[in-house]
Amino acid sequence: MLQLPTLAAEPIFYLGSFPVTNTYINSTAAVLVFAIFAYFLRKSLKKSGSGAPRGLANFFESLVEFVLGYIDGVTKDRKKSLKFLPIVGGMFFFILFSNWIGLLPGTGSLVIKHGLENIPVFRPANTDLNLTLAMAVFAVLASHVFGVLAIGFFKYANKFIKLGDIWHAIKSGEPIAMLVAFIDFFVGLIEVFSEAAKMVSLSLRLFGNIFAGEVLLTVIGSLIAGYGAFLIPLPFMLLELIVGVVQATVFAMLTLTYLSIAVTEPHGHAEADHEDIEVSEVEAI
Amino acid sequence: MIFDPHSLSALVIPVAQAAEEAQAGGPAATLGLNAKLFIGQLVNFSILLLVFWKWILPGITKGLQKRTERIEKSLSDADRIEKEKAEFEQWRQQELGKARQEASGIIATAQADAGKIKDATLHQTKEEQQKLIEQARKQIENDKQQAIQSAKTELADLITGAAEKVLRKKLDAKADQELIKDSLKSI
Repeated sequence: MLQLPTLAAEPIFYLGSFPVTNTYINSTAAVLVFAIFAYFLRKSLKKSGSGAPRGLANFFESLVEFVLGYIDGVTKDRKKSLKFLPIVGGMFFFILFSNWIGLLPGTGSLVIKHGLENIPVFRPANTDLNLTLAMAVFAVLASHVFGVLAIGFFKYANKFIKLGDIWHAIKSGEPIAMLVAFIDFFVGLIEVFSEAAKMVSLSLRLFGNIFAGEVLLTVIGSLIAGYGAFLIPLPFMLLELIVGVVQATVFAMLTLTYLSIAVTEPHGHAEADHEDIEVSEVEAI
Repeated sequence: MIFDPHSLSALVIPVAQAAEEAQAGGPAATLGLNAKLFIGQLVNFSILLLVFWKWILPGITKGLQKRTERIEKSLSDADRIEKEKAEFEQWRQQELGKARQEASGIIATAQADAGKIKDATLHQTKEEQQKLIEQARKQIENDKQQAIQSAKTELADLITGAAEKVLRKKLDAKADQELIKDSLKSI
């Protein structure tokens, strides 16, 4: 019988009361691989010294330079890009790596018996909403922290709770300005909700895409018996490879956009509208 | 390739199960949201970012930065060297021009000096030559006078001797007179 992946990640064992799920094993494996990679990278960097980088360092340097170029395209400022790189780059490489190792043989096929059910020991990490939500919350919170650090707490808070604008309007004494400030106040409140929407949309988009890919591959793989079961999923695997890159890029780019919007000083409505258009363009993907 | 009819029905069953679960534990439970797992994943992700931020990136970005600086420095150095080269070339041409001028000046003065020295030497030589000629002429005159003097003296002695010899042979007054006259005439 075809067993579709469940929406919730399945616990493999418990550490105390903490459920170690198959997706958690995958994300931990990704962290370990990154740590091992970091160790070898540092070794490689030490070997090359101040001269031309070789091997692993050279390869990864080209990747980082590519990502940095992308970030530069959004921030238009190398200093800002270097500030955002640890978060945006880390997210990109982590999501990409997690998505791709989910396509390796063993993920989903290596199972343990649990009653009648077969529970896979490894599942793509991003098919767990807990992880995607954790990353989304991290991204949005990081954008707020960066925003407060860049433009100051009160200026930043005025983006959401526009008491400052109302105060200025009352001081000016113009009725139209007061009306605009009053409307702006409610727009600011809507912004508060949009922050929550950012977390939901970021997390559900990634989760939905990767989970759908997993379900798709399972269904396609089991629709046809015989040798076809090996051949038919191949084009879909290729598609999933592309989906892995696209989703990692979208998540990282959106985070980058949130970060760069958060650190820009509020100037006027025209610019804010422009930024909204940019975000909606990326979100459309 | 055989189409498996069971698989379609199998597709439906988990969906129905999920719907039931959703009603039982709410959408959060259906989606597998769990506070402990959420925190666990957040910690995992934070560790990963920390590894990326502290271990992986510094070496890479430092290397990139260093190389960028080095390339920029090399480029600006190259520009500077090019400029310096042009300036040096200009300076060299100027100095060469100056040196040429000086050299031609020196040559001109040397030639003028040499001309003067030559003239002076010629003049001096001529004077000395004149003096020497003058001296030689005087010497010759002296010598001539002396020779004439001594020739006269010797001649007189000869004449006296000859006269003595003649006189000793045949001395008479007439012959004596004629002899004296002849002798005086021949002097």
